[in-house]
Amino acid sequence: MAKHGYTYSAGKLLKHGLSSGAWPRMWRRPEARSSYDVAIIGGGLHGLATAYYLAKEHGITNVAVLDKGYLGGGGSGRNTAIVRSNYLTPEGVAFYDRSLDLYNTMAQDLNLNVMFSRRGHLTLAHTDSALRTMHWRAEVNKLQGIDSSVIDEHEVKKQAPSLDTSKDTRYPILGALYHPPGGIVRHDAVVWGYARAADHLGVHLLQETEVLDILCEDGEGPEGKGAGGRVTGVRTNRGDISAPAVVNCTAGWASLLSNMAGVTLPITTHPLQAAVTEPCKVFLPTVVVSGSLHVYVSQTDRGELVFGASVDPVGTYRVNGTLEFTEELAGHVLELMPGISKMRLLRQWSGLCDMTPDYSPVMGTTQVDGYFVDVGWGTYGFKAGPVAGETMAETIATGRDADLIAPFHISRFTEGDLVGEKGAAAVGH
Amino acid sequence: MIVVPCPNCGPRNSSDLRPCGEITSRPDPATASLSEWRTYLYLRENPAGWVTETWYCRSGCRRYFTIERNTATNEIRDSEVS
Amino acid sequence: MSNLRLPERPGEVIDRGTPLSFTWNGKSFTGHRGDTIASALTANGVEVFARSMKYKRKRGIMTADHWDPNLFVQVGDEPNVRAGSRRLEAGMQVSAQNVWPNLNFDVGTANQVVGRFLSSGFYYKTFMRPKWFWHNVYQRVLRKFAPGGRIHWETSTHGAYDKRYAHPDVLVAGGGPAGMAAAVSAAEADAKVMLVEHEPELGGHLRWGDADDLAALAELRSAVDAHPNIEVLLDSTVTGRYDHNWVAVMQRSHDIAPERLVKARVGSLVVAPGLIERPYVFSGNDTPGVMLSGAARRLINLWAVKPGSKAVVLSANPEGDAVIADLEAAGVEIVAALDARAGDDIAEVKGSGRVSKVVLGDGRTVDADLVVTATGWTAPTSLLNMAGDRPVYDPSAARYFPNQVPDNVLATGGITGNGSTAELAAHGTATGTLAANRALRLRHARRAAASRARSPEGPRPEVLEDTRTPLARVPHPECYLSSGANAKKGMVDYSEDVAAKDLVQAAGEGFDSIELMKRYTTVTMGPTQGKLETVNAAAVLAKARQMEMVDIGTTVWRPPYAPISLGALAGRIFEPVRRSALQDWHDAHGAAPLLAGQWVRPDHYGDPMGEALNVRENVGIIDVTPLGKLDLRGPDVTKLLELVYVNKWQKLDIGRVRYGTMVAEDGVVSDDGVTGRLGEDHYLMTTTSSGAGAVWEMLEDYLQTYRPEWDVHVTAVTGGLTSINVAGPKSRELLLRLVDGVDLSPEAFPYFNVRRGTVAGVEDCIIWRIGFTGELSYEVHVPSGHALHVWEALLANGEDLGIKPFGVESQRILRLEKGHYIVGQDTDGLTKAPSAGLGGLVKLDKPDTLGLPELKAAYERTDLPVLVAVQPDDPQLVPTEADQIVDGDSNRILGRITSSRMSPTLGRSVCLGQVDPSLAAAGTSVTILLVDGRRTTGTVQEHHAHVDPEGVRQNV
Repeated sequence: MAKHGYTYSAGKLLKHGLSSGAWPRMWRRPEARSSYDVAIIGGGLHGLATAYYLAKEHGITNVAVLDKGYLGGGGSGRNTAIVRSNYLTPEGVAFYDRSLDLYNTMAQDLNLNVMFSRRGHLTLAHTDSALRTMHWRAEVNKLQGIDSSVIDEHEVKKQAPSLDTSKDTRYPILGALYHPPGGIVRHDAVVWGYARAADHLGVHLLQETEVLDILCEDGEGPEGKGAGGRVTGVRTNRGDISAPAVVNCTAGWASLLSNMAGVTLPITTHPLQAAVTEPCKVFLPTVVVSGSLHVYVSQTDRGELVFGASVDPVGTYRVNGTLEFTEELAGHVLELMPGISKMRLLRQWSGLCDMTPDYSPVMGTTQVDGYFVDVGWGTYGFKAGPVAGETMAETIATGRDADLIAPFHISRFTEGDLVGEKGAAAVGH
Repeated sequence: MIVVPCPNCGPRNSSDLRPCGEITSRPDPATASLSEWRTYLYLRENPAGWVTETWYCRSGCRRYFTIERNTATNEIRDSEVS
Repeated sequence: MSNLRLPERPGEVIDRGTPLSFTWNGKSFTGHRGDTIASALTANGVEVFARSMKYKRKRGIMTADHWDPNLFVQVGDEPNVRAGSRRLEAGMQVSAQNVWPNLNFDVGTANQVVGRFLSSGFYYKTFMRPKWFWHNVYQRVLRKFAPGGRIHWETSTHGAYDKRYAHPDVLVAGGGPAGMAAAVSAAEADAKVMLVEHEPELGGHLRWGDADDLAALAELRSAVDAHPNIEVLLDSTVTGRYDHNWVAVMQRSHDIAPERLVKARVGSLVVAPGLIERPYVFSGNDTPGVMLSGAARRLINLWAVKPGSKAVVLSANPEGDAVIADLEAAGVEIVAALDARAGDDIAEVKGSGRVSKVVLGDGRTVDADLVVTATGWTAPTSLLNMAGDRPVYDPSAARYFPNQVPDNVLATGGITGNGSTAELAAHGTATGTLAANRALRLRHARRAAASRARSPEGPRPEVLEDTRTPLARVPHPECYLSSGANAKKGMVDYSEDVAAKDLVQAAGEGFDSIELMKRYTTVTMGPTQGKLETVNAAAVLAKARQMEMVDIGTTVWRPPYAPISLGALAGRIFEPVRRSALQDWHDAHGAAPLLAGQWVRPDHYGDPMGEALNVRENVGIIDVTPLGKLDLRGPDVTKLLELVYVNKWQKLDIGRVRYGTMVAEDGVVSDDGVTGRLGEDHYLMTTTSSGAGAVWEMLEDYLQTYRPEWDVHVTAVTGGLTSINVAGPKSRELLLRLVDGVDLSPEAFPYFNVRRGTVAGVEDCIIWRIGFTGELSYEVHVPSGHALHVWEALLANGEDLGIKPFGVESQRILRLEKGHYIVGQDTDGLTKAPSAGLGGLVKLDKPDTLGLPELKAAYERTDLPVLVAVQPDDPQLVPTEADQIVDGDSNRILGRITSSRMSPTLGRSVCLGQVDPSLAAAGTSVTILLVDGRRTTGTVQEHHAHVDPEGVRQNV
């Protein structure tokens, strides 16, 4: 798989176990060059995947991935690791289905077990209008070859016996959108897999390297930034790096970085919180999502329940979390599964989500030549990571927006049409 | 649960209010171009620092008012009725 | 089983007169009131409490407190109970968890043999081929190894949990000497104080100390007890500090609730948690019989339990030195007293199931069954972290110290330095005074800030400068990793079975920052959340990277400080439902309940088709109270209506009603309804049920922030007026019998008009003639207190007319027959006004209306979808709502069915749908893909209305 990689296998595990020999590094800590063909800001899943596909599919290996902290320290390491492709719009379905394909073969492609667990994904409907939306999604999905259907409450009970499917609850479960290929992935492993593979192809992963400015010329704004101009590189805490292509693959800081290139984004930043319980013996086999109750839950192979919700209402860059999130979460989880009151919440955390008006990303070229964006991922960036990397790499390599991401171009906010995922994505995990 | 100072009701838990985001300036709809209009609708400064934003005292006096809040620290300065 | 209970100890907390029986793995045991589960079992000679997660190694008591990673047990249906802190109760059924088949023999011990292959992250490197193997075999095996107890979801129920709000000026987290002193001085400075202690009694480490400690404790405790301004919460934990000093306390000592969440808005938070003793990393450090000095002292002094018989002690501090006297007093033989400050060390401990031999640093091997270490402290800085602090490591004192905290958080006690009891208390006293000053200044400012709030008493207190003398930092050797040759086999994370060598390996693979290392090895991710492990992990990483501890940092401590049950977080579950004044009647008369948004409504009374037909033939009444209703008054209401509706409102005469559609600023249809003019400056607006709140807030928004000069007053009257729609050809005849003061003749009261009058003797009802059902109909808005009377009068007086109540389902049938769309069902988040078929309703020549530029742009487009009526060519086939309209046999989507029903009036199925404009012309045949995969055809109709498109019936 790699130019100078080290292949993992059961045999290697045996060899290292017997010899107690050290395993090689997964990636280097390289010295930064003064110029690269492509500088990618953000060492998370999206940035690393973009770098990997640039190198692998397009032969562009003089690439740097810059991160102000450590690899995968942002949204990639804070999400709840759910993947699915049962979106509402044909654009969304096509895009996320490609991503699911890439997840499916990722362990083999990257030679790292990302522990993809295709355990099935239930989106519960508590009202007849929710049920109608589930039907809508199922029908759109089926037309695009996605395994997706509406099931009734009895079938829901079979899939997830701990759910309360009785009728006399405040939010009775009337049915669910069932998506068998959906599941969970070990999110950190995906980051490491791409990091290792990109490193082996020659990409420089520059951790603890913070971008302080994006350097531009000939734009209509101050310092040559803004529409009509082009990028020339980035200024970092470790010095200037010149690059004819700069890619913004950040979440949480996308607006701030984009402003450095003179490109204002249609984004407000909100925290998305998550929490995990102490482990218990495994009893929940599928991923369960309830839009009405603003909660999603899955149980890891380690026995922890992992919870998420919708984004916090107050926009902030704070990631220290709130108490009310845990209170509402617990109340809603116990509406669904009244028998688990005695489980204990172990840890809560928070990540930053860049929300766009239509719950769809902003991707591709911009009004500044050489400045590319892969931002505005709201709460669904993890699911899209692989395909975002693949399509962004194509866009950077060819200079033209890849077909799959054309609907997500920034120009839709000033002309053209927004994408219609908003209705389905409010708690779209 | 931050405390938001409503100019009428005094300090209140933020759950009593609704955050309405950065203040915006509505262009004259009769003359605004579509692109000016959409800048008003969609584009936001979204700073990591002080921002002037609107809150609605949903469970109290039902006034809209603005405060300055630091989005990096959640520190809040004075409030005034819109 | 042996009895290891000692003769009475001066500070013991057990009540020897009250024996308690309980079972452990099915066998009966006896302890005393005041015992923890662990102390009672240890007194009975139990040495092994659990098996480790990965290698299934036997584990014994180690810290004998809440943080003990080896004491997780199942109690009845409650998993993961901390036996180190949970008080013993009579009848408890305690069992080991995570063992198979049992504690003494676990087949998972096979992992110990193959352990060398299970290096950290091993699972990332294998089980990739063949692909099915991972999913079908290995993942299932891995799940079997999930640690933790069993949740009995089938039988457990949500208990009597509760919550409380509190507003103390000062909250002190930690009831040790510094915390108690801080509470007293804050209270003396007139602050309202809440003192929270994790253990069941105040005192902190003084409780298991010597006679002097006990005397000091008694004095401090009586000072706390004497002060009326102090509320003490014992057996309670401060679990989180959030922005603006919102502090969560989990109280386990409440009389009724098993756990109560106290939410406190705190003026000043005083953080005084003391210190947590740190384990020492050496080979065999997880063998039962290896424990920390605090555990030994607590066992002996609190519960009078002898922890072993032959001990090796390794001490690096005075607290460790003190354990020797306690052990000797308990009759334990000291085999070796090692002084880490003098270079003494433990190289390795041997023994299976219990310590048997100890290899000392000098190479000697001694026989022992107990190893006690006192090698340093971890500062539990969680609450400070949550307040934004990043504590800094001090190598001379071998621990982290607070760095920068906000003014409303103050630290005191051991977390800030060392001192005698008197010195700790003095620092606490100064801190309490300072905390009170800051809190009282804040209280004063808050009261002064709001005119309507309580006004402050007296002047604002002057600023008190922070003149506290910091506690000393006593030098302490850096004892992390033993010098023994096999030290790296020692455990760093007991919960996760992560040894030092695993961390070294991870660092070598590139996981060389503390956060990456944590994620790769899972170190610090277990139930103790790093309280015992984090600093040791950082030390191992520092050594592996040959860096200074200061440069390594630690992982971020996240809330909660200690795990909280979901039940306690949820509290009493409160999910209210709105009910109209008539809902009791509906319930009593067989209505099928329908939950619709906030409301419960009658879906039907048994026969929705028949009830609908009855409206077409006779007369029916429906409770439509959830319809949003806004009373608008003022001279500028017309301007407001012009702004928020797409149509014109200038010439609405008094007594007239008009339909209007609202769009948002992006041109998307957001709500609709009718508004009637009741008087010169008085209107009643109705909105959709689900949009009622949002429309109200939207109106207020534009009135307050955009046109504050407009004089309009908005009052929500949705619940105050009960709305009854009287519909059907005989509705006028019925109302003629009940209405006074209104001329109901068609000439005097035509369609789309409103009148006020008396209905069934109830004055001041509002009646308007509108027609969602397409029939002659009147909507009567009755003051809700009289609603039941009017409803029953209508039924009684309409008996001979064939009156029947009808519900939401019949209304949906009737409106669909009539082709009225529902916002949010027939429109969606992208439906702009032209798509909804609003045609001539929208006026683009207004100077200002919401979304005007978007409306103008939308009306220039020809590619937007169009809402049309569709009739399936098979009249008996009712497509499912959301069935897709496709391009012939292809999978290209050209639209969808948005509403569908069987029409009782026409005896055929009828639909509304959104279609591509190429399909919008009347007579176009469309292909509908059914849920079962079949395709059928339908025909686009000329009008939205399937029944009476000319509107004859409603206009009579």
